[in-house]
Amino acid sequence: MQSVRLALQAMATRFELLMYGDDPVTLRAAGEEALNEIRLLEKQLSFYDPSSEISRINREAAHGPVQVPTRVFELLQTAQACSESTHGAFDITIGPLMRCWGFVRGQGAWPSEDDLVAARNLTGMSLVVLDESQRSAEFKRPGVAIDLGAIGKGFAIEEAAAILRQCGITSALLHGGTSSIAAIGTPPDEPDGWPVGIADPQDHAKTVSTVRLRDESFSVSATWGKAFRHDDSLWGHVIDPRTGLPVKGAALAAVAGPSATWCDALSTGVLILDPPSARIVLDRCSDMRSLTGYVTEGKLTYYSQGIDIIRHGQT
Amino acid sequence: MISGAGLVRAANITQRPWPQGRDDVACGIIGYGPQGRELASTLARVPGASLTAICDTYDPMLLRARRDVPEASRHTDYREVLDNPDIQAVLIATPTHLHKDIAIDALQAGKNVYCEAPMASSIEDAKAMARAARDASGQIFQVGQIYRSNPQHRSVYQFMRSGAIGKPAMGRGQWHSKESWRRTSPNADRVRALNWRLDPEVSLGLIGEACLLQMDVAYWVLDELPTAVHGFGQVMAWPDGREVPDTIQAIVEFPSGLHMMFDATLASSYDEAYEVYFGTDSTIIFRDRGKAWMFKEVDAPMLGWEVYARRDKFYKETGIALLANATQLDAQNQDPTEDDPNVETPLWYALQEFMDNHAFGPYPPAADWARGLEATSIAVAANKAISQRTRIDVDPAWYSLD
Repeated sequence: MQSVRLALQAMATRFELLMYGDDPVTLRAAGEEALNEIRLLEKQLSFYDPSSEISRINREAAHGPVQVPTRVFELLQTAQACSESTHGAFDITIGPLMRCWGFVRGQGAWPSEDDLVAARNLTGMSLVVLDESQRSAEFKRPGVAIDLGAIGKGFAIEEAAAILRQCGITSALLHGGTSSIAAIGTPPDEPDGWPVGIADPQDHAKTVSTVRLRDESFSVSATWGKAFRHDDSLWGHVIDPRTGLPVKGAALAAVAGPSATWCDALSTGVLILDPPSARIVLDRCSDMRSLTGYVTEGKLTYYSQGIDIIRHGQT
Repeated sequence: MISGAGLVRAANITQRPWPQGRDDVACGIIGYGPQGRELASTLARVPGASLTAICDTYDPMLLRARRDVPEASRHTDYREVLDNPDIQAVLIATPTHLHKDIAIDALQAGKNVYCEAPMASSIEDAKAMARAARDASGQIFQVGQIYRSNPQHRSVYQFMRSGAIGKPAMGRGQWHSKESWRRTSPNADRVRALNWRLDPEVSLGLIGEACLLQMDVAYWVLDELPTAVHGFGQVMAWPDGREVPDTIQAIVEFPSGLHMMFDATLASSYDEAYEVYFGTDSTIIFRDRGKAWMFKEVDAPMLGWEVYARRDKFYKETGIALLANATQLDAQNQDPTEDDPNVETPLWYALQEFMDNHAFGPYPPAADWARGLEATSIAVAANKAISQRTRIDVDPAWYSLD
């Protein structure tokens, strides 16, 4: 059994692919085709590339319906479905709010009430009209913009994994920035699946759980990293698109399931929901497993649905 | 195009509206590999084009076609596409050595043809196609030498021909990409067919399959055709039994005495692809899908518009961005120092030209059969020089039909 490892810088992150099989030349050929698919999707889905389909929608969709390629349309429909499943917590129109909070370029600062109201008026999937018969997207008002940053990576991974399977690959792990993962088969000598550690949101040196993936996808969202101080409180860079305000308490949302696209989007949406709402949403997804973590009064509480937590003292 | 939307939409200065009341052109794509898919996704944005049929001999490609363009009919035999009287235009994106029969049959079936570059993998095939295209009067035959239709390249072409570079002294082009060029499939027969680029019997190698568009720009902007090529080729990164080199150098000689070097490798991605032309007054570089910058010598004459131009830093050098349509952008109150937000890909402009030709032509496309024959001849000579590690004179008779 031989292994081949490939990597790609795309979608502002590093994708990495590890494959096992008999012939390294064949493995590499399959891997390159899969990573090329990610590159192709980046060109279509990029928020920043002016010739991408998303840029074209953002420029033109407030003036009338814009026809989009089938795959991009399917992805927009998935984004809309995920928005509905999470009661609006997952939202690809959140761009104006993120800019208003200064999270696009800077460290973040509390915006004025007027700016917040203006940004909220431009946020919400109800402002995006998808017409299946025309495969078109239209915005209800100028200023609306879509950004697939919280779902595009999962979609790219799902599409690339499909190509790997088509090429006959039976053992592979593909991840984007370690936060979105697709597993094909199992690694040699690990029949339970690919072991993937979930970092402790309060101490990155520790893992809070190790999930085993076998023909399954996985995604994790967390509030760690960026934060800013206001009124003596620390506020994360996760904004609730329904209120326009930063989320308090959420620390971690990890989701495993059959579709990398859904895992990517749901992990973002679930992170924004309060624990009871998150539980209701995740209960409805019977083919998915999850682990969510919340901080209340400095104490981290986990809710697990099919992903076990490593108790303190365990390694 | 959505009617009426042009009034409020930011004007796309290069976009010509499809004539009102004119039916869309029904198109068929033959060959649905990566390039065929790129054609399909671009065609969907070109006014006047309607993709109604897709042909490929490999089932997984047709499955992709069904998902990408569900309304298009799917075929495994290209003759079914040619026999369909409703289809006016076919776009050929098969492996290069399969272009000839399909293109000639398509012209004989009365179709307009867009053929991917290289037009052919041998001079004989290219001449047969060129003859068929020349004799098919009233039909369009366009080759995928896409930079010929790209507004950015056209603009810099005029700029170079106006003498802003001074006396051109030499040129250099590179195409770097770390990849094996291998393809795979669970079906053993398909593996051979998919790996045509690594088959020395039919492949034009890196110089033909990767550098051809850049070479086409070179002899276009220099305004002279090569007379000889020196070549070198090695297998450096992928010693998997292949004969087609994964790393090549070619030095192209021009009648003026100017030499231009091209290098290409599958070993390294460093600095990707660009072409650079060194002249006595300035050096001009093309990169990033048609963007261009000029680096001036300190003793070069001042150009009138220079003071307004955008400058970009490249390590220790400062480049003046050469933007197409800068004056029109200014007139439309768009900042001429910013990249045009409406800019499309070079392939889009090439396909727009192909579609426009249906509405306003027929006229000879910028990349017609003659340009296709020239490019194929140069690629064949260069590939031969590389595989024999020698110097090959280009017979001027290769370039023309008579």
